[in-house]
Amino acid sequence: MSIVIETQNLRRCYGRGVTLVAAVNGISVSIEQGEFTAIIGPSGSGKSTLLNLIGGLDQPDEGRVLLQGQDIAGMTGNAISDFRRDHIGFIFQAYNLIPVLSAHENIEYIMLLQGVPKLNRQARVLEMLGLVGLKGLGHRRPAELSGGQQQRVAVARAMASKPDIILADEPTANLDSKTGAELLDLMRQLNAELGLTFLFSTHDQMIMARAQRLVHIKDGVVEQDEVR
Amino acid sequence: MLLVQLAFRNLFRNGRRTFLTCLLITSSLVVMILMDGLILGMLGVMVGGITQTLEGEAQIYKSGFRDRFDSTLYLASPESILTVLEEDATLTAYAPRVIVPAVIGSSYNTLGGMVYGVDPEKEIATSRLRQALIEGEYLTNNPRGLLMGRLMAEKLEIGIGDRVVLTASAVDNNELVQGLFRVSGIIEFGPKELDESFVFIPIGAAQALFHLGDGLHQIALRFKDFQDANRSDLALAREIQEEGVEFKGWLALQPSVGAMLEMTSYATLIIGVVLFLFASLGVVNSIFMSIYERLYELAIAKAIGTRPAFIGGLILLEAFALAVISCGIGLPIAFCLMTYFAANGLPLGGTMEFSGVVLPGRLYPELVWYQFVQFPLYVILLTVVAAIYPALFAARIAPARSLQKAL
Ligand SMILES: Nc1ncnc2c1ncn2[C@@H]1O[C@H](COP(=O)(O)OP(=O)(O)OP(=O)(O)O)[C@@H](O)[C@H]1O
Ligand SMILES: [Mg+2]
Repeated sequence: MSIVIETQNLRRCYGRGVTLVAAVNGISVSIEQGEFTAIIGPSGSGKSTLLNLIGGLDQPDEGRVLLQGQDIAGMTGNAISDFRRDHIGFIFQAYNLIPVLSAHENIEYIMLLQGVPKLNRQARVLEMLGLVGLKGLGHRRPAELSGGQQQRVAVARAMASKPDIILADEPTANLDSKTGAELLDLMRQLNAELGLTFLFSTHDQMIMARAQRLVHIKDGVVEQDEVR
Repeated sequence: MLLVQLAFRNLFRNGRRTFLTCLLITSSLVVMILMDGLILGMLGVMVGGITQTLEGEAQIYKSGFRDRFDSTLYLASPESILTVLEEDATLTAYAPRVIVPAVIGSSYNTLGGMVYGVDPEKEIATSRLRQALIEGEYLTNNPRGLLMGRLMAEKLEIGIGDRVVLTASAVDNNELVQGLFRVSGIIEFGPKELDESFVFIPIGAAQALFHLGDGLHQIALRFKDFQDANRSDLALAREIQEEGVEFKGWLALQPSVGAMLEMTSYATLIIGVVLFLFASLGVVNSIFMSIYERLYELAIAKAIGTRPAFIGGLILLEAFALAVISCGIGLPIAFCLMTYFAANGLPLGGTMEFSGVVLPGRLYPELVWYQFVQFPLYVILLTVVAAIYPALFAARIAPARSLQKAL
């Protein structure tokens, strides 16, 4: 199997002087194509920071992030924007969607940025809506969707751009446990059926149970990396 | 277009703020247009007050006459000039005049003043002499008729029908001449210096009394377009060009008016700039509020791969749309107000005298095309310029930090 993303001795510190905190303190992990990995750890352990670095939302102080061998640390401006657009799918904790756009338009948005031709876009939006079980709800604005449905649209949007990896920082944190479990089942199913690579963070036991690989981190370092 | 769609939907999202910001831009535009119209109207009144009362929009006279009103400097044979004036298409009227300083005496008192010999018919279209009549009758072909300013009549303690003796030196030999007239009318122009020192008699009587023959001291002109009077390439001025004859438009006759016009346009500019500066601050504030409100979603948009320029462009476009909408609302309002006040006048609460001109109780704003084309363009441009800073701010949003902060 090929490695999609690899971090090498990644370090990211906040503050300075005596208040200096190494949120990520030398993490090296490799994510392989088709993996379904959870990053777990207590609050403040550095999960979000790590995901932000991997997704090109933040710059490391040390170390490298390699996407299929290419270092993304150091990319700026349009280059890093376009990199995220084309290679990374993002699902955030909540309010992922642009409120003034319908579910359909939210999914279409990223393809518009990519310059996908209109016909392909329409077809793909419908396909994505079908995959996340929201057929027929495309016209609704985010405010007219439940929290779980909104997260599904976010999943659909993340897939739509055909990224190499989908990063999700606590995607279920704002959902009740049943809805959260359903969302994870959906992601797991997409992973199994379409071979999409997922990397998500959580501190929910029930969510962890659904992961195929668990990366335990604490105080910015990997404590344990278990594949089940 | 995605950008346009987003911009418009964002604008109508917080309707109240958009409305208030529109109101701010709209009212600045309306105030600017009204103010400009009123100032133009006021300048019109002031320039008109000077040119239309008596002076005319341009004058023809013998070189040197205007310096000291030396009555020996006169146009001895003005026929050829009068023929040109009669045929000129840019003029609406002209009035030939004889102007001689004289001692004006009643049975009770004497005063120094100016005697104007005028053509009663021609004055009607050229000056306000006829309108200024407040008592008695206007000049007729009666060669002994005389119009006198109200203040002078009060000082001389005379009224309609009373006798007046004019004493002056004849223009040819400097000998004293005297003429007896009867007050046929009392006039009031407004400005004090006119009403206390001028008398008007028929031009024929004046020419005979002062030994002028057909001579004239001054020809006052009125144009179809009063700006023509100041044109340096005026055909009329060339045609009457002759040794010793001067032609002067009102700007040259009244340099102080020119300075006043300049000062006023400067003042308008400053008020306009201040007005738009405040409006711009309001716009900047409102745009920043809208950005802060959307910080999270802008951060999401940026995180998933929207380029900074797109975000910045979105903010600029929103400002542009806001300005266009505001102008769309403001222009009809301004137009309605302007046409209403242009027709009915804006009450000023009483007349006032301002640098020798009496301003009427109502001011009529002047509607000019540039107010409705240039001003909105300035407004749109300024709004977009005001949005540049917020747009840069939005473009530079750091997604990771903003997402963390907003949750
Ligand atoms: N912008 C920041 N400025 C300063 N310190 C920060 C900042 N962001 C995070 N930190 C610190 O870095 C450490 C790791 O934070 P991070 O958000 O990555 O943790 P986390 O594992 O995602 O926690 P949680 O489960 O609560 O989301 C924490 O100690 C946190 O206080
Ligand atoms: Mg976190």
